[in-house]
Amino acid sequence: MHTDARTLENGAVIDGDLCIVGAGAAGISMALQLINSPLKVILLEGGGFEREQAMQDLYRGDIVGQPYFPLDAARLHYFGGTTGHWAGWCATYDAIDFETRSWVPHSGWPIEREDLDPFYERAQPILDLGSYDYDASSWSRRDTALTALGLDRKAFWTKMWQFSPPTRFGAKYRSAIVDARNVHLYTHANVCEVEADDAVTAVDGVRIRSFDGKEYRAHAKAYVLACCSIQNARLLLASNTKATAGLGNARDLVGRYFMEHLEMPSAELVLAKPAAPLKMYAWESGVTKARGEIALDPRLQREHRILNGTASLEPGSLGEPVKTTFQLLSPEILAAMEKWEKGGRVGPPPFVTDTGASAAPPPLPRVYHLMTRQEQSPNPDSRVSLSAEKDALGMPRAKLDWRLSEIDKRSIRTFYQLLGREVGRAGIGRIQIREWLLSDDRTWPSFVSGGWHHMGTTRMHTDPGQGVVDPNCKVHGLANLYIGGAAVYPTAGAANPTLTLVALSLRLADHLKTRLS
Amino acid sequence: MALDRRSFLRLSASVVAGGLVLSGCEGEHAEVDALDRPLLLEMLGPDRVRSLGSRYIAMVPGENSAPALRTAIAQRRSSPLHVAWARTSIEDAVREDFADGRTVIVDGWVLSLTEARQCALFALASS
Repeated sequence: MHTDARTLENGAVIDGDLCIVGAGAAGISMALQLINSPLKVILLEGGGFEREQAMQDLYRGDIVGQPYFPLDAARLHYFGGTTGHWAGWCATYDAIDFETRSWVPHSGWPIEREDLDPFYERAQPILDLGSYDYDASSWSRRDTALTALGLDRKAFWTKMWQFSPPTRFGAKYRSAIVDARNVHLYTHANVCEVEADDAVTAVDGVRIRSFDGKEYRAHAKAYVLACCSIQNARLLLASNTKATAGLGNARDLVGRYFMEHLEMPSAELVLAKPAAPLKMYAWESGVTKARGEIALDPRLQREHRILNGTASLEPGSLGEPVKTTFQLLSPEILAAMEKWEKGGRVGPPPFVTDTGASAAPPPLPRVYHLMTRQEQSPNPDSRVSLSAEKDALGMPRAKLDWRLSEIDKRSIRTFYQLLGREVGRAGIGRIQIREWLLSDDRTWPSFVSGGWHHMGTTRMHTDPGQGVVDPNCKVHGLANLYIGGAAVYPTAGAANPTLTLVALSLRLADHLKTRLS
Repeated sequence: MALDRRSFLRLSASVVAGGLVLSGCEGEHAEVDALDRPLLLEMLGPDRVRSLGSRYIAMVPGENSAPALRTAIAQRRSSPLHVAWARTSIEDAVREDFADGRTVIVDGWVLSLTEARQCALFALASS
């Protein structure tokens, strides 16, 4: 079922068993699992089915600390959420990502990789991925051209990725959600406050506001905030009628530990001899099903006390400028990409014609740009808080203070020092580390870049003093409030967050199905 | 009389520096010359290798002459009794450097110490 909330009378009350706030990858994945369950599910989406500027503007926010991408361009505020411009890159998190690492402050998940395995497998078809296989040798057997560089496997391994078409949740799952008898989708339903009971031990309802000044309430047995890491934190902090510091924020943890993946050009690889293009590491949008990235063995991560990350290879030449993710895909290019896709993908994608990034490599490439994708260390000072400015619905805007730590930079440099030794030892070639990595570890270049991967503002921990949600994603101290999506990640992991957040959403849906039934 | 380590190094350095070959075998002249021809030339070209060599000398002023560089390279050899430098033995030395972590970063390049010194020799020879 679907209702445009703008058609509701002022003061209307929506009742259900479970109220999911946000219809992006997390919210829709959960709702899909609950179709035909005994639960009456309310799915609230702030936007409509298409991009609307007024809705996007609600996501505008302040940026302090490290420079960052405009918040209203990094996220999409309509049914399907940010999957509307998602690139489709999927990989599992590694076992070490879940571990408590003595050299990584605040690391450690209260669940293990094995706990997520069955949910990863179930997430694959939702994201239109192939079989649950992320083993490089298995992919090499399927396609003999997928051959990894001859690095010592005790030092480096090939982390495999699979690529979603990418799945646009808004287009793909609209009918399934709208046609579901027990799921009621409300669009243009912007939640402005989560209301707690007088004792602040449970949520009593959520308040919805529209541009014309009307207000509605949704009431359910349990609630899930699945609006993305920044918006979840913003909503909790702004829900301060009964709890002055915001809901779930008795320990001043909501909004803290905001994390990104560092996606930066970091080094060059020059092969000892020119060789045919390395298909194992190649990626062509819409064509490549799987590819590998170079990853450092956990043993060496422990030995050198560094973070988890990978290097991808892009053919190029020495001395040419290489753009970061943020530079390559500016807000204008992102918008043009969306338009190009909705227009039927006629001609090359805008970013190709704009940057030449996909220009054909020379017949026998010898030089590869090495692009880092690395977790950042959890940092309590890296945070989302409320701005003094309010949006058109009267809600304080988000303020992002993205911060990085010395270990973040040291880890990237150490990775390439070790890789440099190994490619030299193996006779593969030589590596040149980029200049920005050779300065002190506290200084970051102006072009520092993430990947629009927002994680960690309501981190998971068994101890309420160290995390906002428990291992079931329930907010500590509130009996019926849950958080969906990457906001619960205690650490960022080396891979993009989407596959893991869908897996966690399926896990949460199972939990709620049992609990509420 | 057995040579102590210092005497041996002095001898081998002067032998290599002078372009002499202990065995007197004509083919080994090319092997001695191999020390002045870093493997990196093929990968990076003479201009970049020369530049790396100059930077290495600036980083390590104590190795600013050919004899000093040759002595330093000889000290790193795992089989010091081989006086002549065959290309293969240089390749082995470079690989051993990488395997054992005897590397140096010059202008961002992760180089084996041996090949960094070779770059320096190349720079001196072409200056």
